[in-house]
Amino acid sequence: MSITHEFNYFRPDNLTEALKLLAQYREKGEILAGGTDHVVNMKDDLISPEAVIDIKRVKELKTIEVQGNRLFIGAKTTFTDILNFQAAKESFLLLWEAARTVASVGIRNRATLIGNICSAVPCMDSAPVLLCYDATVHTLSKAGERDIPIREWFLAPRKTALKPEELVRGVSFILPEEKHTGCYVKLGRYGGEDLAQAGLAILMLQKENGFAYRFAFTSVGPVPSRAAKIEELLAGKELNDELIRQAKKLVEEEISPITDIRSSREYRMHICKVMLERGLLVCRDRLQGKSVESLRILGG
Amino acid sequence: MREITFILNGETRSVNVEPNEILLDLLRDKLGAKSPKCGCDRGDCGACAVLLNGRSVRSCLIYAIEVEGMEIITLEGISRNKLSELQESFIAFNSFQCGYCAPGVIITTTELLQQNPHPDLEEIKEALSGNLCRCTGYKPIFDAILAVTEKEEK
Amino acid sequence: MSEHRFVGKSVVRIDGKEKISGAALFTDDIDFGASLLHAEIISSTEAHALIKNIDISEASKAKDVVQIFTGKDFPFKFGLYMKDRHILAQEKVRFVGEQVVAVVARSPQAAKKAAKLVKIDYEPLPAVTDQLAALKDDSKLLHPDLADYPHVPWFFPKAGSNIAHWRKIRKGEPDKGFAEADYILEDTYEVPRYAHCALETHVAVAKYDYSGRLTVWSSSQSPHTQRNLFAEALSSLGLTHKDVRVIAPHVGGGFGGKAGVTMEIIPAALATKLQGYTVKLRWSREQEFMNTYQRLGLVAKIKMGAKKDGTITAIDHKLYWDAGAYVEYGANVVNATGLSAIGPYRISNISIDSICIYTNLPPGGPYRGFGYSEFLFGLESHINRLSQKLNIDPVEFRRINAIKEGDETAYGAEMNPNGLHQAIEEVAREIEWDKKIESSDPKKAIGKGFAIFWKAPAMPPNASSSAFLKFNEDASINLLISGMDIGQGYQTVMAQIAAEVLSVPPSKIRVETPDTDRNPYEWQTVASHVTWSCGNAVKRAALDAREQIFSLIERVFHFPQDSLYLEDEAVKCLTKKDFSLPLKDFVVNGIMTEDGTFKGGPINARGVFMPEFSSTQGDPETSQGGHPNVHYTVGAGALILEIDKETGKMRVLKAAEAIDAGKALNPDLVRGQITGGLLQGLATVLYEDMRFDDKGRMLNPTFTDYKIPTSMDVPDEVIPIIIEVPQPDGPYGARGVGEHTMLPAAPMIANALEDALGIRIKTMPITAEKVALTLLQKSEEK
Repeated sequence: MSITHEFNYFRPDNLTEALKLLAQYREKGEILAGGTDHVVNMKDDLISPEAVIDIKRVKELKTIEVQGNRLFIGAKTTFTDILNFQAAKESFLLLWEAARTVASVGIRNRATLIGNICSAVPCMDSAPVLLCYDATVHTLSKAGERDIPIREWFLAPRKTALKPEELVRGVSFILPEEKHTGCYVKLGRYGGEDLAQAGLAILMLQKENGFAYRFAFTSVGPVPSRAAKIEELLAGKELNDELIRQAKKLVEEEISPITDIRSSREYRMHICKVMLERGLLVCRDRLQGKSVESLRILGG
Repeated sequence: MREITFILNGETRSVNVEPNEILLDLLRDKLGAKSPKCGCDRGDCGACAVLLNGRSVRSCLIYAIEVEGMEIITLEGISRNKLSELQESFIAFNSFQCGYCAPGVIITTTELLQQNPHPDLEEIKEALSGNLCRCTGYKPIFDAILAVTEKEEK
Repeated sequence: MSEHRFVGKSVVRIDGKEKISGAALFTDDIDFGASLLHAEIISSTEAHALIKNIDISEASKAKDVVQIFTGKDFPFKFGLYMKDRHILAQEKVRFVGEQVVAVVARSPQAAKKAAKLVKIDYEPLPAVTDQLAALKDDSKLLHPDLADYPHVPWFFPKAGSNIAHWRKIRKGEPDKGFAEADYILEDTYEVPRYAHCALETHVAVAKYDYSGRLTVWSSSQSPHTQRNLFAEALSSLGLTHKDVRVIAPHVGGGFGGKAGVTMEIIPAALATKLQGYTVKLRWSREQEFMNTYQRLGLVAKIKMGAKKDGTITAIDHKLYWDAGAYVEYGANVVNATGLSAIGPYRISNISIDSICIYTNLPPGGPYRGFGYSEFLFGLESHINRLSQKLNIDPVEFRRINAIKEGDETAYGAEMNPNGLHQAIEEVAREIEWDKKIESSDPKKAIGKGFAIFWKAPAMPPNASSSAFLKFNEDASINLLISGMDIGQGYQTVMAQIAAEVLSVPPSKIRVETPDTDRNPYEWQTVASHVTWSCGNAVKRAALDAREQIFSLIERVFHFPQDSLYLEDEAVKCLTKKDFSLPLKDFVVNGIMTEDGTFKGGPINARGVFMPEFSSTQGDPETSQGGHPNVHYTVGAGALILEIDKETGKMRVLKAAEAIDAGKALNPDLVRGQITGGLLQGLATVLYEDMRFDDKGRMLNPTFTDYKIPTSMDVPDEVIPIIIEVPQPDGPYGARGVGEHTMLPAAPMIANALEDALGIRIKTMPITAEKVALTLLQKSEEK
């Protein structure tokens, strides 16, 4: 399919030039990283920028690295980079699991995590993970830097706190000190990798006074969000059947799924409860040192 | 219009492109590489897969201008001189029917075996999950790949 | 010499190297040079509307636009079995996606850009998107001129209605049969539309040169039928068949969608107005979903009666088909199923009504299975339920009623030799039918589902195949045939047949994709019939060649012909052991005799096959008489299904499918059809879910939202079983299997689900969501 819209293409090799272009073009410019969303949007005539600013060769932008006690995911980090990052599977299992469910290898080799959170489509896989880790988004513009907590990043479907003259240089979060594990559960329509019709990221931490939990849902609300009520219910407690039953009931207050061509409100609501229960049990087993494969925990 | 230079199947190529030109179209229409195919134009089917600096990518989702200075391999590059052992195995196992998905599958599998020379069946399935095939039911593709990898292991 | 050398062997595909090296050229891969123009089609956004005005003034001035065309440029009707379609919409549009305007420009981008400037005004009309609503008296007529449409004599349209065809079977005395029954079960089953999703979309390139020759390259299952339809539709321009040439390169999947003529006629017609240029039209994936044939939708009402001992006494089967806006091909799906909707059973009292109904949705047409998948979903579900009511095991119930050789079909002809009972036994054994399996996981349930199936080729009684065969100097052979290898391995199997007769190995037999100028007539590659029909033609051509060879040897060496045989590419003699004349010595150059003169010359042979026993002259009110179907292929299948009781997600642990191929000319390729076909069938029941809004617009015309299976969706184990009860008039006993392998998938899943969880789902698709919500509702009711 041809793209009929004509635009200028820039490929700055340094940050100063990139930011200068962004300041010049603002809303009329589109940042290009992996392009797996961008090019589709161009073909569908959803965007028609005057300038496309390819940031893949801006030398100051990074991929994924550990910086002290923080994990830094730079603008150039593809989902394949995350999967191949040596520490990821051991230390950031939740992040690794979410990356694994994104599309397929041919997309993951190009699609960037930063691109994913900038697209802000309601079914993002990266967002719930970053919410659980309380990540911070780091933006840059000619005017300076901003650090935005991930909770304040997603404003509405396809809308973030990013300003027109800004780019995201990366996202980072502190590696939890205590023993912890995580699990990403995703509802798709078949065994192949699908867009999430519902997704749940769980982080389970072993604190001195018991367990702490963080839950974030995706694709069941206009923006992905933490489930504060469920977190409060379970905080400090050990899991048992009654507690899980109560937690599942609370799901109804935490999410607002819709019916669309991909799934129905009722099924999404029901599955989120199942995901919560099964995800929690996987985390509990993992914290006890058991190796549990979670790819098909919803069956099929 | 801008002239870009890159390496295609081991040969240096220079060509004029517009910013809104798509890599898949450039390869097929201007550079004679017909093996990557258009199946869906959205990156869902894998028929357009090529290797870009060694990684399989969706050429329908990349602007031609982005690949300046990089290295691209298509099925033509893999078949040059002599078919690979993987290709001979696909022939022997009658792995493909209509053949339209074959270039994309071979590109993806080539990358897989470079990264992981002895994948198990689950790893093969996962690697190929972005290459849609409507004809075969996938099994003869798996069998041919396993035959190559298990032989090498022995 | 009773053991075959090439036939019955899993020979490596002769087109394998071409496809795997990247050498294979598909239609869009061909370079046409600087005179190539590109067409962009503007499609209707309305399901039913009058076209009030088309304003192309601004678009015509756009850069690189050559010309813009509308319906008034091509006021011709076309169609395969009925002529109800147009090249570009005439005064009205009848479905969202229908082609209205063609913009031709020097590049695809220019065409697409100019297309955005075209303005079309529609006056909407009431649209009907449900076939039962279309039957109501007050429903808008989609084709008020239906009575004037030319059609084959065995179609029965009802003028003044939306019924384009009504096939009736009346046999025996159904009322009496139901009165005799100890139990009657009546219910309705719903099957929606499906898309073929071949990886290669439709594409055609046409050139009308200065000498008045029209050449069309198209991704097609039917080059000769396309030539015929182009010549008919464009005859007012003075074109006849000699002026039209169709070249069909490699096809990236067909599944029935590339049969007949759909979008290919557009560039063919455009070319006639752009003499000297070549015009290409390639469908995007979205257009492929919205404006090519779709599998028809079905609402089926089944009433079946049986006695306590399990004998079926009567069936009343009403099939209401959502056939779409144009039914020139889809009406034959309605016809074919009408003749066979008793399923592979022996039933004496039959009433079938198969009704083809116009709706404002994309045209229904041929899709692998040709209506049989659709009706077998309901029928095989129904059979299971009936057997349960009678407390008879579902497999045993099928044993009691399965059709045998010599039994009467629904239209009164004799059932051909077949291995249905053997298929049932082997599948039941493979799946360990009598053994109940429990899941060790309390969250999961496991069930087994069984289904049997049959299908006959749906074709006109004079559908034919032909073959030319020529030798080359090295004794290699060129086999010129016009069937299409759409993936099934047709070229390889035809080569095996010629190889068997002539002792030349398949690797030395070249079968190329056809050109209607060079290759002799083949009706279409559809209906799973080319192995049988073209196989017969190829065998006759090979025998013709052999006869020429033996006759020449007899003339020169005076050995009687019946003492000669071919082996290892040489002629040998039973009575003279040391005689061995290599074919390459004479098949082009002839044989030099003692006086220095030569006898013989190039061996060129031909073969034709057309069934001479098939007729459509049955009674229009009962369909009795005539012999509309040449033969049936039968089979059975079963699977073990694991269901997650909370999420509804399903996994096929094991599937076994047996098909009676008559003779598996290439067992590996038959197994390939079972593996591939079964997955395509499972996809229709488990994943594929076509959605339309209430204005007739398809909501999910992408692979993002219309899910076909990936490598991660395959069953854990598939056991293909080949049965061989020879087809008496088939080449080496072979009959077709390509479509049939899909047929049992949907009812197997529905039956397994009921076995596991006691829930009966009567609508497709049966997605995880549907199962989970059904289970939830069931538990809430308790």
